[in-house]
Amino acid sequence: MKLISSALLVLCLAASAQAQQEIKVGGIFDLTGITSDVGKPYAQGVRDAVAWTNENGGINGKKIRLVDVDYGYKIPEAVAAYKRMTGDEKVIMINGWGTGDTEGLKAQVNQDKIPYVSASFSAHLTDPSKTPYNFFVGPSYSDGLRAWLRWVKEDWKDKSRNPKVAFFYGDNAYGKSPIEAGRRFCKDTGVDLVDEEIVPGAFQDATSQLLNMKQKGADYAYINVTTTGVSTILRDAKKLGLPTKFGSNPYGFGEGLPQVAKEAAEGVTGVMVDVPFGEDVPGMKRLVDFHQKNHPADTHDTFYVRGWTYVLVWSEALKRADKAGKLTGEGVKTALETLKDFDLGGLTAPVTYTSSDHRPTTTVNIYQIKNGKLAKAKQYEMERKPEWLGL
Amino acid sequence: MEFFLQLLINGLVVGCIYSLVALGFVIIYKSSGILNFAQGEFLLLGAYVFLAIVAQANVPVVPALLLTFAFSTLLGLALERVVLRPLIGEPIISVIMVTLGLSSILRAIVQGIWGTDTRPMHAVFSLEPIQIGPLPVARGYLYSAASVAVLLVALTIFFKYARPGIAMRATADSQQVSLSMGISVRRIFALSWSIAAVVSAAGGVLLATMRGGVDGSLAILGLKTLPVVIVGGLDSIGGAILGGLLVGVLENLAGGYLDPIFGGGVKEVAPFVALVLILMIRPYGLFGKVRIERV
Amino acid sequence: MLSGEFHTTYASDMGIFETRRAGWLLAAFIVALFAIPFLAGSYWLDVTNRAAIAVIAATGLNILTGFTGQISLGNAAFLAVGAYTTAFLANHGVPFLFACPLAGMVTALAGMVFGIPSLRLKGLYLAMATLAAHFIIEFTSSHWEGVTGGVAGTSVPSPRILGFDFSTDSRLFFLIVPACIAHLYFAKNLFRTRVGKAFVAIRDQDISAEVMGVDVFRYKLLSFAVSSFYVGVAGSLLAYQARIISPENFPLSVAIDHLGMIIIGGLGSVLGSILGAVFLTLLPEVLRLATSVLSGSFPHLVQLFTPLKVAVFGLTIVLFLVFEPDGLADLWRRVRNWFRLYPFSY
Repeated sequence: MKLISSALLVLCLAASAQAQQEIKVGGIFDLTGITSDVGKPYAQGVRDAVAWTNENGGINGKKIRLVDVDYGYKIPEAVAAYKRMTGDEKVIMINGWGTGDTEGLKAQVNQDKIPYVSASFSAHLTDPSKTPYNFFVGPSYSDGLRAWLRWVKEDWKDKSRNPKVAFFYGDNAYGKSPIEAGRRFCKDTGVDLVDEEIVPGAFQDATSQLLNMKQKGADYAYINVTTTGVSTILRDAKKLGLPTKFGSNPYGFGEGLPQVAKEAAEGVTGVMVDVPFGEDVPGMKRLVDFHQKNHPADTHDTFYVRGWTYVLVWSEALKRADKAGKLTGEGVKTALETLKDFDLGGLTAPVTYTSSDHRPTTTVNIYQIKNGKLAKAKQYEMERKPEWLGL
Repeated sequence: MEFFLQLLINGLVVGCIYSLVALGFVIIYKSSGILNFAQGEFLLLGAYVFLAIVAQANVPVVPALLLTFAFSTLLGLALERVVLRPLIGEPIISVIMVTLGLSSILRAIVQGIWGTDTRPMHAVFSLEPIQIGPLPVARGYLYSAASVAVLLVALTIFFKYARPGIAMRATADSQQVSLSMGISVRRIFALSWSIAAVVSAAGGVLLATMRGGVDGSLAILGLKTLPVVIVGGLDSIGGAILGGLLVGVLENLAGGYLDPIFGGGVKEVAPFVALVLILMIRPYGLFGKVRIERV
Repeated sequence: MLSGEFHTTYASDMGIFETRRAGWLLAAFIVALFAIPFLAGSYWLDVTNRAAIAVIAATGLNILTGFTGQISLGNAAFLAVGAYTTAFLANHGVPFLFACPLAGMVTALAGMVFGIPSLRLKGLYLAMATLAAHFIIEFTSSHWEGVTGGVAGTSVPSPRILGFDFSTDSRLFFLIVPACIAHLYFAKNLFRTRVGKAFVAIRDQDISAEVMGVDVFRYKLLSFAVSSFYVGVAGSLLAYQARIISPENFPLSVAIDHLGMIIIGGLGSVLGSILGAVFLTLLPEVLRLATSVLSGSFPHLVQLFTPLKVAVFGLTIVLFLVFEPDGLADLWRRVRNWFRLYPFSY
């Protein structure tokens, strides 16, 4: 009996000593749900980046422990995971994923003072007066849509009338996030929004929606669903012989799109937040090295890169908070807000957060698929307008 | 007018796939009285297995198709033996739950082995549409319509003239009499499950080639089968085919005309509204056998 | 060892507890139950609350399907009706003590409406009608944005009774579990009354029941109403517990889960509903613990967790139906009898 209790005591001490050297970060990912086509590579990017950080000095010597969970893009599961992470596991911050659950949890996150860095680029998360603990790395969905609409206006050559645009979006918070901003920007820029089509979360066939759009005669259409949905829409459009030019949001556009949609993807434009994997920028070296060392046989894409950029940003904040001796939720939030033009080596645009503006960047890159490959078409510096904060 | 025609054609083609899955459902019900809620998963497995054989083993299309059918046959046989045999005679709710449980297991297996991302299928048909009159019609559509027509004819001949087919119809009417006539009812059950699995797999392969890839969302199709079989009649093969086409067309027309009014989602709910209406007016479907019970 | 029961009055024969000892044991169990909020961490309290809510919903379904023989796939939809009604009422200032029963009654009404097809339909056809009801209600909850907040969902304020705020899971426990116990008691009693026996008669042989004077249609509707009331209350408590509800909280798999609960637990048995609901609520948690323990050695297990959860659920159902068709309640009864009759248990 004595042996058992002393052994237990030693184990407990070891565990607590271990815990003191660890910083727990929660990870809520979609590995099996309707956005898992982009969720899985993102999650792998985060995991790999955490491993790399731990191998390269950690957070001032302390290791990051990623407590990750797959919530299948179901809001109730995300809420349960959140409760578990903050109640039982006592994480210091969370790397979240989807728009619906992030927006749903924003009040709770604010109350519990847990910095929530989400993969969702919803502009509704950028106003610190409403959501002080929410952050993301990249231009917002709304800025992305605005930049794309600006590209449409420039691409449209017929001076006799405005270009006609349609929006395709999913029936959820992510799909709807930039639409109002898009509607207003169309009016401001002289683009005619002629049609809005809603698609369900998971669908095999978008023909009736496309036929509706055809009736309205849209010249361009923006698709706000993930890559699987985008490829279905592109293929169905090709089958119908539609002349409409399509554009996609940052979660619907990646290296995989030309592979699945094949010739239907040719000429399609999209908002790219991070560079494609393997692009020749200084920051890419550590990703490629890690990949070579650990899983050289895998293929990676821009969403994998995205995961890395997130970890690079918040681990920097953790380091700053730790140096300041304030390794708490509030301390990490303040540390994030000290990031100014934080350079990610070209993987994505430099990141700046302030206590009054959580838009990390307003630089938007529009890429286009040429000969089955992603090529940069244009870069837009969207204005940092105060009335666009939070929309 | 063109809008309407396009919707109609799309509906007919999508409906062909529904018919295939519904056919499988009806075949099993007709011969063994079991409602197989896992029919959609047969489609899913068929599509994934075909993809795996074609993409990873690099086998050409036709032999891959035959291999997929062989796999489905085995799957049907195995399931019938292992799971359904012990449940003969149990109340209907148990049977429904077992097939629901099965569908969960099959879906989970697919997800576990292949994950949920889209797996691209190399092109079997080009995406360029063929012009029929004023309408562009996708090549894949014509192929599916043709395949379904071929299958329908084959099955009708099978059930009308071939011995096992007639035996299946006899078993559906009365198991005891068939047994006394020397028909091996056990073999009939096994046969019906295999045919159902193969037919669904065919649907899965068609759907995969039309979409250019497979992903987890194919599983939703299983649910859509239910309005189809109720509309057509649970024990009518012709009903399954017609029901599938009707539901496909209804879905697309509702989507095309009503979605803009309601802001989306009508396409998914329309078959179920039709289901309720049919249940109210003609519960046994358009072609099902009427069983009268007055209380 | 129990050496037989000797009842001398009708009342004791019809009693819920066959022996006084059983009654005392249950009382002790309930006391122990109320110790949980003081011992468990907030996550496990969340699990317990969810299990209790599932018990209420499963009991409701059991009343309809297990006792009255009407197969219903509409449980998720009725849960949604209860939850959204509560959200609407609570957001308009209606206090918990009114909102919860009101939600139950609204759901009971909805249940009766969808029970009307049961006059003409049986078995599979009724199941299909309830399935259609599910999709129609799902469509409504996604599109009736004024009331339900559409796809984004709606948030629910925490329940207050006389100014006391039940905002944490441990406080909610003291609302949910007593409600659960009350509903279970009512259900158990229901089947000692005329109404309950009419339900059972309908399940066993509805034509004979009609011949004997049981108004089948009226009692079928009543069964739908009572069952839906239970599910509505469960939905209401769910709304208060989850605090954010959206159509995603009520997918078809919830209805299938509930059916699974009563089948695994045992159709036509209140104890079965409890056992089944608790079992199926704890199963994914146990699985998750196992996955997290094993994921040290198999890192890809996290990805497999979701399909594993689904596969294990399906497998459990299939195995129970093949080997233990009368469910956990029957298993419990056999084990209990073994102990009771020991050493003469054969």
